[in-house]
Amino acid sequence: MIEVLQSGSSTTLQDAGRPGHRDRGIPASGAADRLSFGLANFMVGNDWDAPALECTLGGLHLRVLDDTVMAIAGAEMWAQVNGQNVTNFTSFPVTKGDILTLSFARKGVRAYIAIKGGFRAAPVMGSVSTYTLAGLGGIEGRALRIGDRLEASVKGTSGPQKIPPGYRPYLSNHVILRARPGPEFDALTADSRRHLFISPFFATPQTDRMGARLRGDKIVMSRPSSMVSSPLLPGTLQAPPDGQPILALVDGHCTGGYARALQVIRADHWLMGQIGPETQLSFRRAMDVEAANVLHYRNAFYSRLMPGFKF
Amino acid sequence: MSQSLPTPKIQPYGDAAVLLSYGVEGFSDAASQAVLSLSQHFKAQSGWTDIVCGYDSIMGTFDPQVMRLGAAVNRFQLAAQSVDTLDSIAAVTVDIPVHYGSEHGPDMNAIMDASGLSEAGVIDAHAAQTYRVCMMGFVPGFTFLSPAPKALHHPRHDTPRLSVPAGSIGIAGWQTGIYGLSSPGGWQIIGRTEASIFDINRSPIFLLKAGDNLRFVPQR
Repeated sequence: MIEVLQSGSSTTLQDAGRPGHRDRGIPASGAADRLSFGLANFMVGNDWDAPALECTLGGLHLRVLDDTVMAIAGAEMWAQVNGQNVTNFTSFPVTKGDILTLSFARKGVRAYIAIKGGFRAAPVMGSVSTYTLAGLGGIEGRALRIGDRLEASVKGTSGPQKIPPGYRPYLSNHVILRARPGPEFDALTADSRRHLFISPFFATPQTDRMGARLRGDKIVMSRPSSMVSSPLLPGTLQAPPDGQPILALVDGHCTGGYARALQVIRADHWLMGQIGPETQLSFRRAMDVEAANVLHYRNAFYSRLMPGFKF
Repeated sequence: MSQSLPTPKIQPYGDAAVLLSYGVEGFSDAASQAVLSLSQHFKAQSGWTDIVCGYDSIMGTFDPQVMRLGAAVNRFQLAAQSVDTLDSIAAVTVDIPVHYGSEHGPDMNAIMDASGLSEAGVIDAHAAQTYRVCMMGFVPGFTFLSPAPKALHHPRHDTPRLSVPAGSIGIAGWQTGIYGLSSPGGWQIIGRTEASIFDINRSPIFLLKAGDNLRFVPQR
């Protein structure tokens, strides 16, 4: 069991999400950076999709109430146990009374904290993932607060401690996402279509798990048209009339009425979890064969380490 | 089907989804019915992870490890070619009790002024017809219905309200619908229902689904 001493800007419990309910307006949610989430679980010997904490931008302080093993993956946050540094690539034992602190993120924005056995919570529609907009999952459907206590499930088997070097994801403060033209790509101006693949964009402070509002060259349609609401997916870059695109993220709306300019390929969705305020990002055009091949080989590669893992 | 159906555009939507769109202006009853029939058809197939309807569009998502993009597009093309032969959706009718006007419908006066109808007239017009649930989404449980009577059509607020209570019934242009949970919103609110569209402590969790028929029942 752990107790929350400081909750940080937003820390939620997440697992692999609750897919399959978009027709009723429920996004899948789940860990925004699925790969780092899976690797954190791997290091403590859990199944890759066991419930873990997702800490955004840092500021999380936890007190450990039982001897156990924990691990951190994802954003680099100067993590310490009782003032001693711990790294993102090795699990570490903790004993009763230890204090784990995550300071501000230097690289990336979301870190995953896994505990041996996985954190315990009541599943809602098959998942414990927190979706704060509808108050689903996690602890009362909300982000963690000071004083919250989370229990670990019955102890899992003791697993490998380290992420093998080749499997460590490289995070940079400039996120490059491979993307395919979206359904309304052809309705954009020629300039916009060019800018999408050559211009850098910055995520504004209006960035959370639902979406990232971007700043950069204006992306507009050649003829302003009012679309009727139509399905929308995480990884869709939408172009509203003001020209400032919005990238839909893991908790994004299930339908929308703006032009869908781009769609980030599935193999790169995990990286969208490392987009926060001021993150610089750019898009690179992917061929459809490339998207399929990258996904196939990346899935095969990481599922060798984490059985059943899929991007 | 009374109206003729345009040829749909079927295209990949990224590398793990396919999108069909009839591309109609405003509302087409024929397109909406076709989309709902397709939805019923695809939901009975295996291989899809999500089937989501819009008013005139439908999206299927899949696991690229299980189905190839080309195969997904083919499935959509095949079904769209024979959409006339698909079963129309088996609709159930759900009655939704509504408190119209006063504190439940802060924009009732705006609709009365614009339509020239009395409050009773607006209520009669809004509750007289049976609607179809065309799509759900935006946020959990938000219910998009077939169009409101013409007299009630009204543009959205220029500036959305920061919070619209769950169960609010609104109008936006030709659209009418129900807020499934409290959220920001720009629709003109004329009433509210106590029926919860979305309740995780109830079985079934959702009161409505796309394809259902819906009647508003005014409460005194």
